[in-house]
Amino acid sequence: MNDFWTATILVATVASGIRLATPFLLASLGEALGQRSGVLNLGVDGVMLLGAFGAYYAVLKTNNLLLGVAVGVLLGALLGLFYAFITVNLRAQQGISGIGIYLFGLGMSDLLFQKLVGTPRPIMPFAIVRFPVLSDIPVIGEMFFDHSLIVYVAFLLVPLFTFIINRTTYGMNVRAIGENPEAADSLGVSVGRVRYSALIIGNSLAGLAGAALAIELGIFQQNLTNAMGFIAIALVYFGAWRPIGVMAGSLVFGLVASIVLQCKTLGIIPRSASDLAAMAPAVITVLALVVVANRFRQPAALTKPYIRGQ
Amino acid sequence: MTVEAVFPVLEMRGIGKRFPGVIANENVDFDLRKGEVHTLLGENGAGKSTLMKILYGLYRPDAGELRLNGRPVRLSSPSDAIAHGICMIHQHFMLVPSLTVAENVALGLRSTRGPLTDLRHVARRIGELSDAFGLQVDPFADVWQLAVGERQRVEIIKALYRDASILILDEPTAVLTPREVDDLFETFRRMARQGRSLIFISHKLHEVLTLSDRITVLRNGRVTGETDPCNTSREELARMMVGRDVNLAPEKPAATVCEARLQIENLVVAGDRGTDAVCDVNLAVCGGEVLGLAGVSGNGQRELAEAVCGLRKPKSGVIRVDGQPVAPGNPKAVRKAGLAYVPEERMRDGAIGDFNIMENLLLLDHGEKRFCRNGFLRFGRIFKHCRKLVRAYAVKTPTLETPAKNLSGGNIQKLILARELSGNPKVLIAAQPTRGVDIGAAEYIHARLARQRTGGTATLVISEDLDEIFALADRIAVMCQGRLMGIVDRHEATRERIGLMMAGVDPDSPSKDYCPVSESTSR
Amino acid sequence: MSKSGFYKMIGVLLVLAFCLAPAGAWAGKALKIAIVAPSASNDLAFTQSIVDGIKAVQKERTIELAVTDGTFIVEDAAAAIRDYAQKGFDLVIAHGSQYGGSLKEIAKDFPKTAFAWGTSADTFGLPNVSSYEAASDEGGYVMGVMAAALSKKGGVGVVGPIEVGDAKLFVDGFVAGAKAQKAGIRANVNYIGSFSDVALAAEAARAHMATGADVLTGTAQMVVGAIGAARSRRVAWFGTQANQTELAPEIVVACQVYKWEVILRKILADLDSGVLGGKKYAITLANNGLVIEFNDAYKLPAGVKQAGLDAVAAIKSGKIKPLR
Repeated sequence: MNDFWTATILVATVASGIRLATPFLLASLGEALGQRSGVLNLGVDGVMLLGAFGAYYAVLKTNNLLLGVAVGVLLGALLGLFYAFITVNLRAQQGISGIGIYLFGLGMSDLLFQKLVGTPRPIMPFAIVRFPVLSDIPVIGEMFFDHSLIVYVAFLLVPLFTFIINRTTYGMNVRAIGENPEAADSLGVSVGRVRYSALIIGNSLAGLAGAALAIELGIFQQNLTNAMGFIAIALVYFGAWRPIGVMAGSLVFGLVASIVLQCKTLGIIPRSASDLAAMAPAVITVLALVVVANRFRQPAALTKPYIRGQ
Repeated sequence: MTVEAVFPVLEMRGIGKRFPGVIANENVDFDLRKGEVHTLLGENGAGKSTLMKILYGLYRPDAGELRLNGRPVRLSSPSDAIAHGICMIHQHFMLVPSLTVAENVALGLRSTRGPLTDLRHVARRIGELSDAFGLQVDPFADVWQLAVGERQRVEIIKALYRDASILILDEPTAVLTPREVDDLFETFRRMARQGRSLIFISHKLHEVLTLSDRITVLRNGRVTGETDPCNTSREELARMMVGRDVNLAPEKPAATVCEARLQIENLVVAGDRGTDAVCDVNLAVCGGEVLGLAGVSGNGQRELAEAVCGLRKPKSGVIRVDGQPVAPGNPKAVRKAGLAYVPEERMRDGAIGDFNIMENLLLLDHGEKRFCRNGFLRFGRIFKHCRKLVRAYAVKTPTLETPAKNLSGGNIQKLILARELSGNPKVLIAAQPTRGVDIGAAEYIHARLARQRTGGTATLVISEDLDEIFALADRIAVMCQGRLMGIVDRHEATRERIGLMMAGVDPDSPSKDYCPVSESTSR
Repeated sequence: MSKSGFYKMIGVLLVLAFCLAPAGAWAGKALKIAIVAPSASNDLAFTQSIVDGIKAVQKERTIELAVTDGTFIVEDAAAAIRDYAQKGFDLVIAHGSQYGGSLKEIAKDFPKTAFAWGTSADTFGLPNVSSYEAASDEGGYVMGVMAAALSKKGGVGVVGPIEVGDAKLFVDGFVAGAKAQKAGIRANVNYIGSFSDVALAAEAARAHMATGADVLTGTAQMVVGAIGAARSRRVAWFGTQANQTELAPEIVVACQVYKWEVILRKILADLDSGVLGGKKYAITLANNGLVIEFNDAYKLPAGVKQAGLDAVAAIKSGKIKPLR
């Protein structure tokens, strides 16, 4: 056990947890925004996969990371637009149509990968961005300021989203429509427009999450996300639909995973318990979910299509 | 009312609106003058709401013309209507419970700070309006924490904030105590004096007569008359609404007093939020008597009824039917003891929408020998039994196989009544028995309850409608904040006295025992 | 349909089956082979190895090949296996130890069809099932020897999926080789609990590096993440199952490559002589089914390479038996 408490290991574990948390954070921030507006999207994982492949392919062809990120975000936005059309205009049942988005993303990303790329080929990953003073602080610097740009972006989005949701008229409209769309509509707030925008922004973030994953790993392969999108949805509930809570959830999940990983590496967790331990992040998240979930109510209009006059 | 108000600010001419299979409005003319309160009176389904939704831009009319200040306009959304100074105060409050008062008011308005909210500015303006109109409310309180009366004030402030010149008031008094209604009417009059025009939608005849300058009556989507309070009476208005004479207060023989059939002793019941919704209530209802339980919605009546019927386990207390205690929290035992229940939420607790008439009628008795042999239903007998009940209770339905959800509210209520009364219960609990039911059906249901009373059943009628309580009850009990404020004999009861009790004031010593009207229970 | 009619139809079908099945199996010159495998057929790992094997044999004789890949769900794989058997394929290869239970049932229903199952050493005693496996512990041992010799910090790390089958053999061989080369070496093993979590595999590699490992290896398809992580820190990598050099040319030292064609040739020869199965095969360094392919671009110290080549020779001659 002593091995674990050395500074190097501790730093590496926390840094690893932050890296692991990043795609979850991006995806669940986006999902939280959509859910605040009253639309559940179970297709996050599919959006992430398409975003991941799009970013991967763009970087593979152009070596331009920024372009890769842009492609990932754009694909996410397009899927968000499509999903908004299904749920807002066609008023489809949200649970099952989200699964449809997931299956589409899963299949399409694999198909495109097989047709356009074939064998996994590495791409240039993100560079580490260090800050003049901050990154030089011992321990802290290495833990928090020794990451790629996308990690900082993801965490900076948390205060930004908190601000948007609580302090802007747009955020107020989103909250109102997720709780009582009739009331918002009766005051002339367009339920459709707000839900469209929330879904487009939210799914752009899912696309960004996929792009971040693919570029950070420098690779793509079939089902790269490994169902991360579904965990991200659970983290939205864990975080009680608040950006800060979602961040806490992502960090708990990422840190538990990295601690388990490190303990296995050091042999603190015996190899016989290895598979059991691999479940720890999911189990702890679910337990926390049970504790947290009862304290907060979900947006009252979540999953309910809005039909004027009903 | 001053007479300067003759200029019509709003004219609706020849409005028509059809829905598949229904004519909601046909050739409706309606106008509104500056500074008047014009009432739109009619039963549920008469077309009042449709007409107002057309005015508010929620529906587009199939025919007709809309003029504002003489100019024809086309309103295709609520924001159009709001831009023309039209605001609607909906019967079910259009508030977002998780937002603050200021946020609810600011919703949909342009902010002075661009994309950022300007809640401090909004709050200041709300304060000014509160002072000017006597509508006290904390702008930074979350709406879910407010009591019903306060929420009503927020709705009105929303309209005033938008400087509405035309206000549509859709049954604004449905959830208020008589005292609160008086205050509200005073606010409405003040608004009218300022030159705003109010459309008041209601089916409560005495309120209509109190508040209105003019009254237009709708029936089956058509205007059946226009009058004003000086030239009409409750009876005439009711006749215009229903199309025939209506008996507003059924004659009933004096109660034949006998022993208490339902006894509630020291009952304490927890509400949905864990706090005590019913605190130490003692109540007895005799055979051949109707006890009316009055109170503003959400003061423990629902929990009381559920506890008595075994649907909610009380924390403590005893419930007796004919002197025998019944097992708490056991609906089957309660039923067996001879208790019948007509629930408040009839589509949720009273009937199964997707089941047909026959299945709904049989929900209680399908296990009985006469309907079921060795686990197989005896359809011949069931069919006969149900046909008899449907006839006896005048349930209007095409067939016995029609799903209950296709019936009107009144017919569903009759269906439930048929099922509950067919076993000739010792005790009947009827919660809001005529809410949302048309006058004809309400009349029938009241007559049925009266007949049951004559037959010796002990009936507890829970209602928020004082007219109903006064029409049916022999004695009136009032609940406020889970406590029984007192029981008054029908002959000694006045609206004022009951109203005070509903507001938590003990009329015998008004200085003490004040309880603010509690918020409605969670939706 | 009347009862007698039903039996008549069954009879007709049976006759048809007897007429057509042998004709389908033996008449055509082109052999019909189907592969059912869990991951993508170009995964640079487990599934690609068998597809490449068949393709190598295809150069020598006419083979009609059908592949169903990505069937990580066993039920889907079972359906595909049964489907191919029904369509009259001569040889159906169930490429995944997790398919064993399903194959056992299916093979009984199609006694005229030949099945091959790997990696495993169990034929269920059925005459139409051959089993094949890779002695991946042998290559693992060789790489363990080289890794330990290469390590300057005295630590090597292994990223594994779940401790079963081929992965376990390779990992155990690698650890044995490393310990044989340097008794005091730290050889940490991390089974991440997943065959598909690429991000976790990457972090597992980083965890190894944080604990002072400067040579890494790993097995299964999620290691692409670990390779990426190793590449970002320029830490040496040993690969297995397929040649992974192109994933990271600057750090891949050598790969153990599976040449399934060695045993596929034997299985096809059996088929030609009318033997449908019942035999167990393994690819080894000795039969050239396992080959250590070096990345020429990596500047491997001559002494380290020699230690590896010595180990290969010793295993081939039977002097070293890695896990025995």
